[in-house]
Amino acid sequence: MPAYWLEAIVVALGLLLLLMEAFSNSKSKELIRVVGIGGLIFLLVPFYFAVAPPADNAELARFYVYDRPAIFFKLLALLTTILVLFMAYDFRKTLNRFTEGPDTEHGTGEYYALPVFACAGMMWMASARDLVSIFVALELVTITFYILVAFMNRQVGSLEAGVKFLILGALSTGFLVYGIAWIYGITHTTNLETISQLLAANSSNPDLHDGISANPIPLLFGLSLILLSLAFKIGAVPMHLWIPDVYQGAPTPTTAFLSVGSKAAGFIVTLRILDPFFSSDITRSQTTIVVLALAGLTILVGNLTAIPQTNFKRLLAYSSIAHAGFILLAIAAWHTGDDDTLSSYQAVAFYLGTYLLITIGAFFVLVVVHNSEGSDNISAFDGLGQRNSLLALCATILLAAMAGLPLTAGFYGKFFAFQLAIESAHTNQILWWGIALGFVGVAAGFYYYLKVVRAIYWRAAPKDDLIAIPRISRYAIISLTLATVILGFWPEPILWLIGA
Amino acid sequence: MASLQEYLFVSGLLFAIGLAGVLVRRNIIVIFMCLELMLSAANLTLVAFSRFNTGPDGLPDYNGQVLVFFIITVAAAEVAVGLAIIVALYRARQTVDVEDLTSMRG
Repeated sequence: MPAYWLEAIVVALGLLLLLMEAFSNSKSKELIRVVGIGGLIFLLVPFYFAVAPPADNAELARFYVYDRPAIFFKLLALLTTILVLFMAYDFRKTLNRFTEGPDTEHGTGEYYALPVFACAGMMWMASARDLVSIFVALELVTITFYILVAFMNRQVGSLEAGVKFLILGALSTGFLVYGIAWIYGITHTTNLETISQLLAANSSNPDLHDGISANPIPLLFGLSLILLSLAFKIGAVPMHLWIPDVYQGAPTPTTAFLSVGSKAAGFIVTLRILDPFFSSDITRSQTTIVVLALAGLTILVGNLTAIPQTNFKRLLAYSSIAHAGFILLAIAAWHTGDDDTLSSYQAVAFYLGTYLLITIGAFFVLVVVHNSEGSDNISAFDGLGQRNSLLALCATILLAAMAGLPLTAGFYGKFFAFQLAIESAHTNQILWWGIALGFVGVAAGFYYYLKVVRAIYWRAAPKDDLIAIPRISRYAIISLTLATVILGFWPEPILWLIGA
Repeated sequence: MASLQEYLFVSGLLFAIGLAGVLVRRNIIVIFMCLELMLSAANLTLVAFSRFNTGPDGLPDYNGQVLVFFIITVAAAEVAVGLAIIVALYRARQTVDVEDLTSMRG
């Protein structure tokens, strides 16, 4: 089965869910949740048998690529969406309280259908190789997220988060299309493959008529505008300002979806767009400096502003900025891979693979604590060790993995990123600055993640009743924590998936 | 006929006006209009490049113009969702001023 059917099936599933919401009289949205989750899990079967579309279809091949990174990021999108829908299942009490018809499921059906559309958009982003298809897929994801963020329309925080996300999202769309317009104007094409060939031809023959090698400034201007808008998607400085407020205000499953799914899709697009510019001698040094500056600033801002946070959701927001910085460092140290080192594509994919498990696990813990305490503050974790030792243990392991403690999956993600940066720093000295800032960031990370662990074990519990974990959350938290620990000893499964 | 530089200058000016409006204005509806202005500036750039990047047969390069249609469609979807969110905010807070969006701090 050609791979493009996968996205078609996901969109069809989303439409089916919307029709069920519109035409069923049932008060309960149980059926929509079950069909949505079941449909996406079932899709893993045709996904296993999917093959690349035939190469002789030139019009399709221009827009759609099905290589190893595409497969891996499609899998990430699917897994994230499934886990987020499970999380929405356990979050439904809070969601019902703040939508129309309080304490009924009235008007919440779309919340279980829209992530499916976002999933289709992320899967297209993983395969897009033309600026047009990148733009359309990216906007499908972004517009879906506007609704998901502002979904709790009886809670002011969710609406404010929605408006902030809307304004900055639309601003980044403006930067993106203006940047695309300039790149199209200079190169006469929107296809990344053609741009790559054009740059290669220009660097081997500087006197070529279009004069890109004589004056690459307009091209770099377009690229910087696109990078600005991608910085919004992946949550990097200078477009990171929305992240803390939106993460705090949005419904928690949406926050998890934003911080994993949307970020991963943003990174594969960043890799694909930067690939031609890193491969050409004309633009390599400027691109490296810009991406490295973004990486260094992102690491610093993310890690240092996370230190004084008292709200766990905001802490996770700054931590997600910090992680974006480490991933950008692996991109700035552009490497096409050899026997000893992963390529930049692989290092980023590995980091995001482990990041998915850890972050979704942490958000599941947050949903459980929020359901019991009604608060997202770190003080809600006080004395968790006495109130539910299993949850406390899992939370501790996940937080340690986020900090990058050895013997957890998070360690390998950071290890490969730094290994790549050090490998490339031998030829490009400026990368040592990024590495130094990276170590500062990791050290700061240990402090603020372990602050939560201190609350869990060393603070007195305000109440001593036990915290109950709903069934789905229990299975999800235990399996995600186990995966984090196992991949910490034995990272081969992800390495095999990314083809290393 | 006007040259490519003139079109690029006008579209750049439009983009700058839109960006300045987003940064300076406090009313969310006005900010939203300025964002649409930025998209229009990009559309004008695309059409100008498309008209002046003629192929070997002397015809414009239509790829850019097709992208303009995609941008118009996406912008319409964005406005539909965006205005709905702004209306919902107005119902809850009776304000469309960004200075009043202060329920989250940290």
